[in-house]
Amino acid sequence: MGVVEILVIIGCALIVGGVIVKSIINKKNGKTSCGCGCSDCSKCHGCKSREDEKNKTDS
Amino acid sequence: MLKFALAGNPNSGKTTLFNGLTGSTAHVGNWPGVTVDKREGVYKKCDEPIALVDLPGIYSLSPYTQEEVIARNYILDEKPDCVINIIDATNLERNLYLTTQIMEIDVPVVLALNMMDAVEKRGDNIDAKELENRLGLPVVKISALKGEGLDKLMSIAYAASKVKREGKTVLEETALKHLVKDLTIALSGQGVENPVFHAVKLAELDDLEVLMHKDAVKMVDAFKKSNLDDTFGGDFEALVADGRYKYITKYFSPTLKRKNKDKFIVTPSDKADKILTHKIWGFPIFLLILFAIFHLTFSENLLFLGALFPEGYVTLQGTAFEGVFGEGGINSPGVTLMNLVGLLTDTISGGISSLLENSAPWVSGLICDGILGGVFAVLGFLPQILVLFLFFSILEDSGYMARIAFILDRALRKFGLSGRAFLPMIMGFGCSVPAMINTRTLADEKEKLATIRVIPFFSCGAKLPILTAVAGTIITKGSLTAGYADVITYSMYLLGMLTAFVSVILMRKTTQKGEIPPFIMELPAYHAPQIRNLIALLWEKAKHFIEKAFTIILASTIIVWVVSHFSFTWTFLDEEQMSNSILAGLSGLIQPIFTPLGFGSQLADYGWVFALAAITGLIAKENVVATLGSLAVGLGFAGIDGLFLATGITIPALLSFIAFNMTTIPCFAAVSAAKGEMSDKKKFNWTLLFWIAVSFIVSSAIYFIGTWWWTCFIYLVVAAIVCVVINLIDKKTIKA
Repeated sequence: MGVVEILVIIGCALIVGGVIVKSIINKKNGKTSCGCGCSDCSKCHGCKSREDEKNKTDS
Repeated sequence: MLKFALAGNPNSGKTTLFNGLTGSTAHVGNWPGVTVDKREGVYKKCDEPIALVDLPGIYSLSPYTQEEVIARNYILDEKPDCVINIIDATNLERNLYLTTQIMEIDVPVVLALNMMDAVEKRGDNIDAKELENRLGLPVVKISALKGEGLDKLMSIAYAASKVKREGKTVLEETALKHLVKDLTIALSGQGVENPVFHAVKLAELDDLEVLMHKDAVKMVDAFKKSNLDDTFGGDFEALVADGRYKYITKYFSPTLKRKNKDKFIVTPSDKADKILTHKIWGFPIFLLILFAIFHLTFSENLLFLGALFPEGYVTLQGTAFEGVFGEGGINSPGVTLMNLVGLLTDTISGGISSLLENSAPWVSGLICDGILGGVFAVLGFLPQILVLFLFFSILEDSGYMARIAFILDRALRKFGLSGRAFLPMIMGFGCSVPAMINTRTLADEKEKLATIRVIPFFSCGAKLPILTAVAGTIITKGSLTAGYADVITYSMYLLGMLTAFVSVILMRKTTQKGEIPPFIMELPAYHAPQIRNLIALLWEKAKHFIEKAFTIILASTIIVWVVSHFSFTWTFLDEEQMSNSILAGLSGLIQPIFTPLGFGSQLADYGWVFALAAITGLIAKENVVATLGSLAVGLGFAGIDGLFLATGITIPALLSFIAFNMTTIPCFAAVSAAKGEMSDKKKFNWTLLFWIAVSFIVSSAIYFIGTWWWTCFIYLVVAAIVCVVINLIDKKTIKA
């Protein structure tokens, strides 16, 4: 297996692993899992995940 | 940090002001109920930074709606350093009703007279100095839309926040004057904060106050017995409201100098509403506007002008832009932009392919077919999503969306639904997640549940690529002209809406039966959408779509490609052997389930592709096209079109595939939002089953009727039996 192949495998593993880990971390931190971003969402700060985030910050 | 709250009636301009002060791009919808929770930002131009909280629009501080509870609790419990009460100066008297309540709280208050540009345009004037003297509160004229007076407002609010203020009531000239005074003294003696506010609310026998101050309620009862008053039948809440309005009319209204005192002015909005909210033509006009939007987004024969141009004139044959602007007809803006993006992605794919020519087959396959094939398949639809989103935002911002709810209320009421429920459904055209959260504004729990269940049937932006990709194949298979793309897409959107309405009617007749709540809504004046806000919204939408493409969708396409190109013994498979892959094997197990829908076992070796695409759509609906794109290239086809044509899938089956993806369980984020809005796990489980059932019924009906036309009679008979049974149950329930 050449260097290119090894780099591709590592790169793909990092991408897949990174996305999964980021989703889990976001969920634990109460951030939105919507994937659509908040600032253009008309329910910004109305989402339950934001409520959880606020409760975490307050406590 | 100092905290200022922005409070005011719906559509008074709070969010516009908030955006102007904080530089935020918070969504401004020109209809009530857009902000259902508070929004926070920071204003940095004063001596110290100030945290600004945009509260939901409310008409009073009585706890009847969730928005009122949120706003009231924030002002009373969070104790902001100042409340900026935004007044729609074009409706001074009505807006001041809330002001008279906020004034009763021990908090510095500053009045912002907004929309002064509209007042001045009418030729009217408000004597702000006189109003300030009579209210005893600072009054600042602003125009949040134009950004005028904002810094002055904040500097006055900053100065006001440094001075302690005690609550004051306007009920001095009512029969309740002494009761309120006695209650204030009693509550002050008990150390209750904001005694004036609580005293007035107690006099109204406000539910929350009665619970909190049971001893003081006895004073109210004693007063009621000793002061029998026939006015309003002894309803103190009505007495208080009457007292407030009388005070406003006597002391505050004279500060407004109208140009046309006695004439009822017919505004341009009124004239437009005569046509747009016409009781017969209103709904057809809405359907026409909707079709126009789809035509401008999807059509390949814009305004049907293709016949006017000489052959090949638009095609630009032989050039780098061949076919981009049209072939036979002129492409709509959405299609033109999509073709331009396609040119770009093809160039990038071609470049990367040539770089990887000498690499291992699996490396070039993974990167070119899997990653680029999948991600670019989705990114290609971004322009059309943005164009569609732009038009819907214009409809919303202009104030037309609120009218649609009003028009539909007349029709929907006969079927057990109020027009108020339509507003979250319309939001579903953008994204199901905020649409489901918006159902919090529906007071009736049964109506709320029925609405949550049908929101996914209003195809969100993420489902658009599915519609467009399949519509393209239908045109090719059916030898239709390119101009039919918008008609097919529009028809499928209408099908989704029809499915939603029929589902709601059935639910309201059976499991979610209940009274139809009244629908009262302020129709805001029409105004031109703010370009700055539209551009900011489009930019945010594009940014997050691209971010999603290069994270969730990228990861999904890598996984899909790997498990579709390796066997269970971990041997790399070429395109002819992909039916022996891990993915084909697993998908093949569920392939028979989709046979009644037309894209299952009858597609033999390629049926698993459709089953897999539908499953990956649960993560994100964009994944359906990403999966199809990735697998199409992997299987040796030029694109999704080539894959569809090679499978031999029929047109009814293609339509069934669209319908299935439109009506089945939405993405995980929407499912999570739905679960969050439901109090009961059992209801949530039934909702999942409902989505699966509806998707199978609708898709199978399309497939069977499209393939064997006579099956429509079977469906009609079944539908008739269901209607009769429901009516019988309905009558039995009424009798009981």
